[in-house]
Amino acid sequence: MGQNFYRYLFLFIILTPLNISSHNNEPHSIKGSSKADSMTQCVEPTEIMQKEHFVFLYHQRDNTVIDGIRTKQHSLANCIDCHVGYDEKGVAIPINSEGQFCQTCHVQTAVNIDCFSCHATVPRDKGMKRIKASDNNNHLSDKIKDITTYYHSNNHE
Amino acid sequence: MNKNNLTRRDFLIKSASLMTVVYIIPDLVSKTEAKPLDEKVSSKTKWAMNIDVDKCTKGCTACVEACIEENGLYGMDRPETDSQWIRKLTLKDIKTEKIVELPMLCQHCENPPCCDVCPTGASFRREDGIVMVNQHTCIGCRYCMMACPFKARSFVHENLTEQLTSAPRGKGCVESCNFCANRIDHGSDMTACEEACQKEGHKAITFGDLSNPKSRVNESLASKPSRRLRSDLKLKQRVTYSGI
Amino acid sequence: MDKIIFQRLKIEAPLFWKLFLGLGFFILVGYLCAHYMETEGHYVTGMNNQIVWGMPHVFAVLLIVIASGVLNVASMSSVFNFKLFKPLAPLSALMAVAFLISGLVVLVLDLGRPDRLIVAMTTYNFKSIFAWNIFLYSGFAAILVVYLWFMLDRTVSNYSKPVGVFAFLWRIILTTGTGSIFGFLIARDAYGTAILAPLFIIMSLLYGTVIYFLLLKVINYFQDTLMTDEVKDNLRKITIFFLFANLYFLALYHITNLYISKHYDYEVFILTAGGIYTIIFWIGQVLIGLLLPLYLLLNKNSNNESNFMISSLLVVFGSFAAIYVIIISGQAFPLNIFNDYIIVESSFYDNVIHDYTPSLYEIGLGIGGVALSLIIILIAIRNLDFLPSVIQIRKPLVDEKSD
Repeated sequence: MGQNFYRYLFLFIILTPLNISSHNNEPHSIKGSSKADSMTQCVEPTEIMQKEHFVFLYHQRDNTVIDGIRTKQHSLANCIDCHVGYDEKGVAIPINSEGQFCQTCHVQTAVNIDCFSCHATVPRDKGMKRIKASDNNNHLSDKIKDITTYYHSNNHE
Repeated sequence: MNKNNLTRRDFLIKSASLMTVVYIIPDLVSKTEAKPLDEKVSSKTKWAMNIDVDKCTKGCTACVEACIEENGLYGMDRPETDSQWIRKLTLKDIKTEKIVELPMLCQHCENPPCCDVCPTGASFRREDGIVMVNQHTCIGCRYCMMACPFKARSFVHENLTEQLTSAPRGKGCVESCNFCANRIDHGSDMTACEEACQKEGHKAITFGDLSNPKSRVNESLASKPSRRLRSDLKLKQRVTYSGI
Repeated sequence: MDKIIFQRLKIEAPLFWKLFLGLGFFILVGYLCAHYMETEGHYVTGMNNQIVWGMPHVFAVLLIVIASGVLNVASMSSVFNFKLFKPLAPLSALMAVAFLISGLVVLVLDLGRPDRLIVAMTTYNFKSIFAWNIFLYSGFAAILVVYLWFMLDRTVSNYSKPVGVFAFLWRIILTTGTGSIFGFLIARDAYGTAILAPLFIIMSLLYGTVIYFLLLKVINYFQDTLMTDEVKDNLRKITIFFLFANLYFLALYHITNLYISKHYDYEVFILTAGGIYTIIFWIGQVLIGLLLPLYLLLNKNSNNESNFMISSLLVVFGSFAAIYVIIISGQAFPLNIFNDYIIVESSFYDNVIHDYTPSLYEIGLGIGGVALSLIIILIAIRNLDFLPSVIQIRKPLVDEKSD
């Protein structure tokens, strides 16, 4: 009896992390704030999307990068545009942050997403973020001005 | 039966109208019409750029700024590691000592050394002549940066967060000018840098399709002699320079 | 007659664990450095968009070059039937495996996306010498393992000669491939010449021989491994030969470049005006790495063993300087984009001889790689029978009789 109790206690303790939801205490987006919430079906039947969305994405990504095909149906940009949630102020919440569309399932299935080290996590068009255009260019003169390389001076004496 | 009823007059009218549909109407429609979004790029289109150095104005960095904005290339104030897809160079002629300025960018070679050396083939040349990096297969070895004679490429040295939807880019990959491929695929025939240069009124940069005789780049090439940089390497760049 | 048998390293457990932990510490530090560079991005290193290959590449290329070179002893025994080195051959192949693996580890850990190693192993662009090198390196490791097995397993030892010949040919191609990484770069004045391939081969022969000698010397300190005077003398002689060959190819490389007028500016830079790079070239690569060892080995007391030790250490130092000069100064020298113009101003350092200050992380990663190769050798010789020793058959017979 006592041994069984400890056994269950042990199991309970080691399994506790699995009971805790991945996104406890995280700010949730407002339910129904994404465009997808108001639609009945995704670009393919839901069952197929759940299982094979990455197949579409991989296929589309090669088509886009190599062949310049820019159809919207299976494009990641379109996924994000439709599935991204918004907070109370109407600001888009990064789709890979905890509790958001991509992350919820991917935490559960423990599959790492590699998309968002490069791809924008919210719809972000040019001009939406103020870019300091001059950052890349102002520094040039002070560092380089005085330098004329040996190669140049030698070359053209 | 029907065939026998076809009179000579009918035949002439029908064939004439068919000829109109097949031969004449397509000619009336502008050839610069963009490819549909679902069509593959093909070698029928040959994107190219000519830069008239005489028109490039001292101190003007409109093209550079436009590129930064178009592709979200915000810097980290670390000039040695920040990406530059297009940059301005100031040159001095060794004989005449004349000072000129010009923008330097990926020269989109037809025989690109970067693509030759890339171990995974991530560095590749699109059918329409755009040389770019497939950042899904780039492993960040930087061999292409060693191989490029124009120093056109940059390596992303840190985590990025504010990428644009239209210009994905991230840590650990090499990147460079892609002739605004996203814009072009969506129907534009103008890169961000050319647009900026036109807005400034300089019109030093001209871009377009070499196979379209009326394209801006062809007009510019016809009006003035142009040359390729490092022509000794026989790389057949699609970016040419006039006036140097 | 004497009989040669192979033994494990008989080293006391506490000492083994001390060595193990010491090397392990450097490996851990190297791993942490790599991890930090990876998570933060390469801006924390000394590398940038101008010097794109830095200290990790110096270490990696050096380790790979050495890997090919330490196989010398095995090649001489299997390919050229040099009986003297036969007992020492398995150890030589083991060192080759160890240096190769650690060189590759350093190279991979410096990639921008090492997590995509699987991409590198599955998608190939066969036009790229880099892609070919991935084959050459992994193939070399596989061949060496088979070679080791054939040498150590007496039931199949008849086949060790053909495998040895194959390994010999493969290592020549491998070092050619490594040299061609630079030889095929037409863009930069320092590279873009086929002579880099034979230069790399001769460098690998030299560095491999002295590294083998030094490591054998260390092992011999603990246990007699048939390192007779004859072995030392032969190693010394081929070292002298390789030193001369190295000098010859180095001179040929630079003289060729002086005649190719588009490489002339770079030559003037590296030979006279390159500041720190010129110093490293003349003092490090030429004086310390080649001339001093030659002087020591050819001088009257040349049979003195400590002379050979010092020369070997100098060559090791020089090897580092040599690879550093090839990799770093080749990038530091600006690209020649315009023939008729001087670049006056650029935001991208187009007109600057770039200096490079390696960060501690890069050096940590490199040293971790060296420690990795040493720990592989240490573990292998302690647990497997690699070290030759002589059993004098007559003597035990006498002992038995007296019993």
